[in-house]
Amino acid sequence: MAIITISRQNGSLGDEIAQYLSDKLGCDIIDREYALSNFFGEQSSGSIERLNESAKFFLSSSSGSDITYKDILIKRITELAQDATPGHDIILVGLGGCVICANCPYAVNIRVCASEDTRTNRIARRFNLDYESARTSVETADRKHKRFVSVLFEKDLSNPELFDITLNTDNSSVEEASAAALALIEAKNRRAKIAIETKEVGAIDHQAEAIVFKNDTEAEFAHILDMYEIEWLYEPKTFPIEYDAEGNIKMAFSPDFYLPKFDIYLELTTMEQKYVTIKNKKVRKVREMYPGTNVRIVYKKDFLSLVERLKRFC
Amino acid sequence: MSHILGNSIEISRIVFDEETIRKRVIELGQMITKDFYGQEVVLIGVLKGSLYFFSDLSRSIDLPLKLDTIGFGSIPDTTSRTGVVRITKDIDVDITGKSVIIVEDVIRTGLTTAYLISNIESKKPASISLCSMLLNPDRLLMTIPVKYYGFEITDQWLIGYGMDLDEVGRNLPYIAETSRKQ
Repeated sequence: MAIITISRQNGSLGDEIAQYLSDKLGCDIIDREYALSNFFGEQSSGSIERLNESAKFFLSSSSGSDITYKDILIKRITELAQDATPGHDIILVGLGGCVICANCPYAVNIRVCASEDTRTNRIARRFNLDYESARTSVETADRKHKRFVSVLFEKDLSNPELFDITLNTDNSSVEEASAAALALIEAKNRRAKIAIETKEVGAIDHQAEAIVFKNDTEAEFAHILDMYEIEWLYEPKTFPIEYDAEGNIKMAFSPDFYLPKFDIYLELTTMEQKYVTIKNKKVRKVREMYPGTNVRIVYKKDFLSLVERLKRFC
Repeated sequence: MSHILGNSIEISRIVFDEETIRKRVIELGQMITKDFYGQEVVLIGVLKGSLYFFSDLSRSIDLPLKLDTIGFGSIPDTTSRTGVVRITKDIDVDITGKSVIIVEDVIRTGLTTAYLISNIESKKPASISLCSMLLNPDRLLMTIPVKYYGFEITDQWLIGYGMDLDEVGRNLPYIAETSRKQ
């Protein structure tokens, strides 16, 4: 995964979740403090203070240049997103990261929220404030967050479409909310890894397509894998295996299942022998043309014996 | 003439006799003894097929072993032909930080083994190794590293030395190929 953006309400445990994810994933956190110290080069303390206080100041040009602070912010975050690779994650807290990375295919955009009452109580406890003072602090922070994204990007932070997942911490601990985020990050990491490999070998990526099994056997096999808690993807990739003289694809092969944990493609065949022969040929070609790719055929007798053994239990 | 199989099953041929099994189990025990010297080892037998192999193998390993067993079953499910897998007997020994060796009778598709590995991984052992009496490499659907195995097999239906046909034949002292009597 490239970049994990976390947009959080004040008192929502967003920073704690960012820290938890950082510890779990072993990656760095880029937050406002880091950005102000590192993104904009040499700046006077006055400029830093104004950037910290005013969203509008991001629309002004940095000293001696036509480029605005907003332009620099977008450029630096985009560079971070591009430099990050699967397995080398970066967590970006705030800064409108969800908007800047909206079109980045390997970003996970997370919103962390909680009810105003919960957040007020947390702030009151944490800073030893009375309830009213804490609520004023929460309201002010909410306004500033919304304003920052609205002024810089003309986007509404309350729009759920900006996020891949929203975590409500009213009744969830940091660990519980982070577990949901980690599951999504892991799934997206896997998707990214397959997409990159697919691109590298010139195969075709189908991961975004909805699962429509071609027959009952495939559905039953998926059920068996689920039963064994073996993660699977259905037809995530097509391997071109024959081209004509003009380079057009003449023959391709889309294995039915991919098991990420075992890095293996499985092709089910429960059909007549002549089709089995064609499938065997396709598997041979994939192995020749895409070295290192593990492909196995699940023959009809394998499948039936699996079902039979599961009935009796293996 | 043995009465173990009753009248419903007949043996086509003996594939591995008692002496062959005995020698191979001793070899596996020696390999494991060498590889795991100085480590805290927990040997986990998968019920019921590995019973005799588990018993003989554990006595061929010259290390301070802890022994446990794990069992599976399936609950019938109206939405599918295969039901739902569940653990009927979980392990009792604490395996956290220890070297675990899973002992199976036979690994065919590897699905059960993959499930086992995931289950045991969640208990955070230092390592998980696999030891199977029999392995059918042509039928393996999972890329699982089977570090120790007794013999490679093909598609035969085998019984004996823990393996059964409808719960019959486990207590045969050898491994045989079978066919049901008509």
